[in-house]
Amino acid sequence: MLKIEDLHVEVDGKLILKGIDLEIQAGEVHAIMGPNGSGKSTLAYVLAGREGYEVTKGSVTYKGRDLLEMSPEARAAEGVFLGFQYPVAIPGVSNVYFLKAALNALRKHRGKDPLDAIDFMKLSKEKAALVQLPDELTKRSVNDGFSGGEKKRNEIYQMAMLEPSLAVLDETDSGLDIDALKVIADGLNTLRSPERAMLIITHYQRLLDYIVPDVVHVLIDGQIVRTGDKDLAKRLEAEGYAEVRDAIQP
Amino acid sequence: MTHERQTLLDSLPSSFDTGPQWLRSVRKSAAEALRERGLPNKKTEEWRFTPVRPLVDTEFARADAEALKLVSSAREGVTVRSLRQVLEQEPARLEGRLALGESEHFAALNTALFTDGLWIHVAAGVTIEEPLQLTHGFSKTTEPGVSYPRVLVTVEAGSEARLIETYAGEASEQLTNSVVEIELGPNAKLDHIRIHENLGLQVGRVEARQEADSSYRSVVVTLGGALLRFDIRALLQGQGAECRLDGAYVVDGSDHVDHHTLVEHQAPHCRSDQTYRGIASGHGTAVFDGVVLVHRGASKTEAHQENRNLLLSDTATVHTKPHLEIDTDDVICSHGATVGSLDESQLFYLRTRGIPEELARAMLTYAFIEEVVDRVSHKPTRDRLRETVLARIPAGEAIRGVP
Repeated sequence: MLKIEDLHVEVDGKLILKGIDLEIQAGEVHAIMGPNGSGKSTLAYVLAGREGYEVTKGSVTYKGRDLLEMSPEARAAEGVFLGFQYPVAIPGVSNVYFLKAALNALRKHRGKDPLDAIDFMKLSKEKAALVQLPDELTKRSVNDGFSGGEKKRNEIYQMAMLEPSLAVLDETDSGLDIDALKVIADGLNTLRSPERAMLIITHYQRLLDYIVPDVVHVLIDGQIVRTGDKDLAKRLEAEGYAEVRDAIQP
Repeated sequence: MTHERQTLLDSLPSSFDTGPQWLRSVRKSAAEALRERGLPNKKTEEWRFTPVRPLVDTEFARADAEALKLVSSAREGVTVRSLRQVLEQEPARLEGRLALGESEHFAALNTALFTDGLWIHVAAGVTIEEPLQLTHGFSKTTEPGVSYPRVLVTVEAGSEARLIETYAGEASEQLTNSVVEIELGPNAKLDHIRIHENLGLQVGRVEARQEADSSYRSVVVTLGGALLRFDIRALLQGQGAECRLDGAYVVDGSDHVDHHTLVEHQAPHCRSDQTYRGIASGHGTAVFDGVVLVHRGASKTEAHQENRNLLLSDTATVHTKPHLEIDTDDVICSHGATVGSLDESQLFYLRTRGIPEELARAMLTYAFIEEVVDRVSHKPTRDRLRETVLARIPAGEAIRGVP
C-alpha cells in the first residue's frame, strides 16, 4: 500500500530525514519508535503533505501513485489520514459541521452520495462511542477548549468517521493517562482491518502493549536503524535508545 | 425646497425660520459651529485614514424622498410618529432630545438640515417581542444626492425592544448622513441590529444615552461600501448600566469602511464589552478606532474591548486603534487589537481531513466573524445575514454549497 524509498527531507534548509526506506502492506500495523528530534513527526507531516517540508531525494508511492505529487486533500480523498500529535483548535468551526463537509467530500470522490443530516448524526454517535467522546464535544468548535485527552479521542473519532486506508498516527499516546490510553487503543484495535494499514509513531513502548504491531522500526537521526517484530519495542523499552544507537554505530 | 446641487457646507441656510424656537436655536448653533470649523480635511485626526474629500467637495442635491421607511406594523406600547409632525403639534416633547447640535461635523450637519424623521417611542413597562424594522434607501436619481435620516428612539423605564435598521442602496454617488439617537430609561433594554449593505457613501452616527441599569446591545454588520464612516457612542450615565457593542465588517474591491466606537463610563458599576471583527481582501481598507473613557467617580467599572482583523490580500489595508482613558481607580479594563492572516496550521488540519483548500479557507474566514453574526438575536435576520456575508467573503459560495 505504501512504499517509501530513500526519502530525504529538508526543513528550513536542514536535512531531517536522511534516506528512509519503508514498505507497508494493507492490513499491517507498523510502529516507528525513536527519541525526540529523530524525525518522526517530519515523516508524518511529509506523508500528509504539509508545506515547508522539502523532499530533496527519494519517493513515496501510495496505492501505486506518487503521493508527493498530491495535495493534502487529495491524499485524504485517496484514504490517507494523519492523527496529529498536537491537534489545532479551530474556534468557530464545529466538529460535526466540518466533518460532514469532509466526509461528503470524500464520499463524492469515491462516487457515493452525500450523507444527509440524520444518517450523519447516527454515524457520528456510533463512532464517538467507540472512543467514549461525549456527544456534546462533537458539536463544539474543533478542539476548542478540549483537554489533551479529548483532543486525542477527537482524532480517533475523526479517523473512525473518515475510514482511511492508511492511518498515520503521530504520538497519539502522548499526554494520555493509562485509562485514556486504553480507550484509544481499544478504538484503534476495533479499526484494524485487512484493508487498512496503520503507521503508529511513538516515543514510548506502552501504546504497543495494547496495539500489537506487526513490524517495529527504530528511527534515529533521520534514519531507520533497526527493523524487527514487537519484541524490538520491548527491548528498546528495557535498554533505551542509546543502546540501540551504540549497537548500530559503535 | 431647492433641488439645485451644492456642496454640503454651502447647503447650510443663512437663517432658520421654521419649527419651534428651541430647534431653530439648536440648528443655528450647529450651522455656526460648522461654518467656523468647516468639515474635516485630511489633517483632521478622526478622519486620518478615511478620505473625506469626496464628501466635502461634491455638490449634492437633496434626495430625502425614500430615505426612511418603517417596515413593521403597529403594535401595542409602541408609537411611531414622524418627527415633522411632532415638531408641528407638540414641539415641547422633543426639546432637549434631538441633542446632537454642536457635536462635530456630520452629525451637526444632520441636525442643521434634517427635514423629517421618526420618533419611535416605547411606553414604560412593555416587552416588544417582534422587532421594529427600519430601512433606509434612496430615491432613484442619477445625480449625486444627499439625505439626512434622523431617528429618535425612546425606550421608557423597564421596557424591552428590538430595532433592526438596514441601510441599502446601489448608487455610489448617493450620500446618506444619518443620526440615530437612543434614550434608554431606567432598566430599559434595547437590542439594536444595524446592517450596512449600502454601496454608496455613508456617514452615520448612533448615540445611546443610558440611565441606571439599562442595557444596550448593538450589532453592526457592514458589508462593503464605497466610503462608510460609522460612529457609535454609548453614554453610560446611570449606575449599573451596561452596553455591548459588536461589529463585523467585510471589505473587498476598493471598499473603504471606518468604524469608530466610544463608550463613556460616567457612572459607577457600569459594564461595557466590545467585539469588532473585520475581513479585508482585494484593495479594501478597513479602519477601527475604539475609545473607552472612564470618568472620575465611575468606580467599579468593567470595560473590555477587542478588535481582530483578518487580512486576506497584500493589497488590502487595516488600521486599528483601540484606546482606553481611565480617570478613576478600582476598574477592570482590557483592550486588544490584532491584524493577521489565516492560520496555516488550521488550514492544513482541515485539508488533511479532505476539505478542499478553497472551502477550508472559506470556513476559516467565515468562522472569524461568525461569532459576531451569531449575536444577532433575531433568527430570520441572522439567517439572512449569514447568506449575505457568505456572498461577500472570498470563496464563501463554497460554504453555501455544503449540504
